[in-house]
Amino acid sequence: MISMNKVSKHYGSFQVLSDCSTQVEKGEVIVVCGPSGSGKSTLIKCVNGLEPFQSGEIIVNGVSVGDPKTDLAKLRSTVGMVFQNFELFPHMRIVENLCIAQVKVLGRSPDEARAKASSLLERVGLSEQAGKYPGQLSGGQQQRVAIARALAMDPICMLFDEPTSALDPEMVNEVLDVMTELAQEGMTMMCVTHEMGFAKRVATRVIFMDQGRIVEDDSKDAFFEAARSERAQQFLAKILHH
Amino acid sequence: MAYNWNWDVFLQPTATGDDTYLGWMFYGFKMTIALSLSSWLIALAVGAVVGVLRTVPNRGLSGLATAYVEVFRNIPLLVQLFLWYFVMPELLPLAWGDALKQTNPILQQFFAAMLCLALFTSARVAEQVRSGINSLPPGQKNAGLAMGFTLPQTYRFVLLPMAVRLIVPPLTSEFLNIFKNSAVCSTIGLLELAAQGRQLVDYTAQPYESFIAVTLAYLLINVVVMFGMRWLEERVRVPGYIGGK
Amino acid sequence: MHEFDWSSIPGAWPFLWDGMVISLQITITAILVGIVWGTLLALMRLSSIKPLAWFAAAYVNLFRAVPLVMVLLWFFLIVPTLLESLLGLPRGSDVRLASAITGFALFEAAYYSEIIRAGIQSVSKGQMAAASALGMTYGQSMRLVVLPQAFRNMIPLLLTQGIILFQDTSLVYVSALADFFGAAYKVGDRDGRLVELLLFAGAVYFVICFSASRIVRHYQNKMKVA
Repeated sequence: MISMNKVSKHYGSFQVLSDCSTQVEKGEVIVVCGPSGSGKSTLIKCVNGLEPFQSGEIIVNGVSVGDPKTDLAKLRSTVGMVFQNFELFPHMRIVENLCIAQVKVLGRSPDEARAKASSLLERVGLSEQAGKYPGQLSGGQQQRVAIARALAMDPICMLFDEPTSALDPEMVNEVLDVMTELAQEGMTMMCVTHEMGFAKRVATRVIFMDQGRIVEDDSKDAFFEAARSERAQQFLAKILHH
Repeated sequence: MAYNWNWDVFLQPTATGDDTYLGWMFYGFKMTIALSLSSWLIALAVGAVVGVLRTVPNRGLSGLATAYVEVFRNIPLLVQLFLWYFVMPELLPLAWGDALKQTNPILQQFFAAMLCLALFTSARVAEQVRSGINSLPPGQKNAGLAMGFTLPQTYRFVLLPMAVRLIVPPLTSEFLNIFKNSAVCSTIGLLELAAQGRQLVDYTAQPYESFIAVTLAYLLINVVVMFGMRWLEERVRVPGYIGGK
Repeated sequence: MHEFDWSSIPGAWPFLWDGMVISLQITITAILVGIVWGTLLALMRLSSIKPLAWFAAAYVNLFRAVPLVMVLLWFFLIVPTLLESLLGLPRGSDVRLASAITGFALFEAAYYSEIIRAGIQSVSKGQMAAASALGMTYGQSMRLVVLPQAFRNMIPLLLTQGIILFQDTSLVYVSALADFFGAAYKVGDRDGRLVELLLFAGAVYFVICFSASRIVRHYQNKMKVA
């Protein structure tokens, strides 16, 4: 479904990504982790072309992301993305946040979009909040809305960019529960996260990055039981002892 | 549209014969600079005092300062200018008013224009000073008081030195404004740059050359002021403190 | 001391009122045109198409460097000739109002565009990314997501600029157009009551601008709470 081949990116002389290659099959849940500044957020943003890259190739569902002829808007409408800071549109009600792209991008009728929105809000347990504005919701609720907003587009896969790092600790689980459920339903997912419990529960593979390189790309069990690189072992030791 | 360009017009002797038109322009340029700079100095002094007063805990003083700012901000500059020039001499005690009317008319115009620009701008400077002081963390004032400074000392040693640095960029635009606003003073007959431009049109019937020259002169002032203020900004920058916002 | 005599004001009321209508006409047209053209300039300035960005930057910096009086004089010089040749008007027809409105609108657009540009930049980058991630095009993201938020943040500044613009309309005095201030000056000059008329004009401007700025502040405080 997603295939990356030798993707590199630099800002001036600073190398953000070097020769990153991996494959994501349909139904897989990939967790991307690594120390801050390792390039994991940049990598995931390359998948839907939010970050341009200078060399290499990314193919999503048969479409090349880096090709200047590609209709990026169309591609992005098929790939859901959830951001660290939610990025709900503060001037629109919750239900409007879920409907706007359905109507304006997919061309659905307002009624159809509304029906879709309410069934998704129910699914993330936020039906009562439909008429509120994002600023009136807690962080955990906002992030669940953001997931519902992405799902409203019927994406073929979902990208999560540190979805729980901006949340207060007591709200992390409500978001992870929604993500776990989604994974169990067979959604193809790529998640940048430090939540190793989540990774152990649902990931099929773990990618570990350091200094812009993919250092480990293993099955979940292999990674947690016997990470090969020293960097990954250090990282795991730090993060698991907290 | 046939227009006869004639840039030599600037070198021709004026109708009155005592100067070239270029000389007129230069006179206007000097007048604009003198008017703007003198007004700016007064505006800075008055604005600093009024701005500080707006932040003091004394209700009466801050109310007075607020009223001052509101009056000068909510009346058009042109109206203020006419009030200073036409109305003020009438409202003074008769002897003063007459004395004023006896003085050199150019001095009268300059004096009214300077007072007008200075006080108009001082209200704006005061607003910048106030917002500069208010943008400092509230802990700064408490820290000053806790060290045993009196309130005036806290302003003098803690708040103002930092606020002054913060407001250099917004003051740049006020400084630029005073040069631009000085053009309004052509309406009372003060022969600054814009007035000389209009006079040239009347005397030579070469409007484009004259307006282009005046416009370029204002652009020149603008560029010089911007570079000067940028230099000042560099000089007063506090290491590790990323400006205001 | 001056002996006040306010008696010439009531009789001049209709004339002063007509002047106020002209002032408001110029203000409102210039605000509307200024905001629309200013938005376009701001978008050009932020655009990745270099010539557009350069054009907008040059336009804005030029207008902001030159005094409004000078801009108005330019427009009173150029617009009549242009209109006469474009619309085939007879020479010397009175196009001072049209010139004034054009001058103000194009001048104010430069100031509005700076306010709007700052407003657009105040919307976090993540919002644009989120809109793109949902498949919206650049135009859709701007129109549906960024600009509505930007305008909401900017409304107080846009209105404050409108109040400044209303004050600035008095500068059409340089063209002898009878806006409110011009009318007041003419009445005072005619009746030898310049002192009273100028004080009156100042008071009227103060009341209007002060009330308007209070309303803006009230709105601003309400927005902060929400």
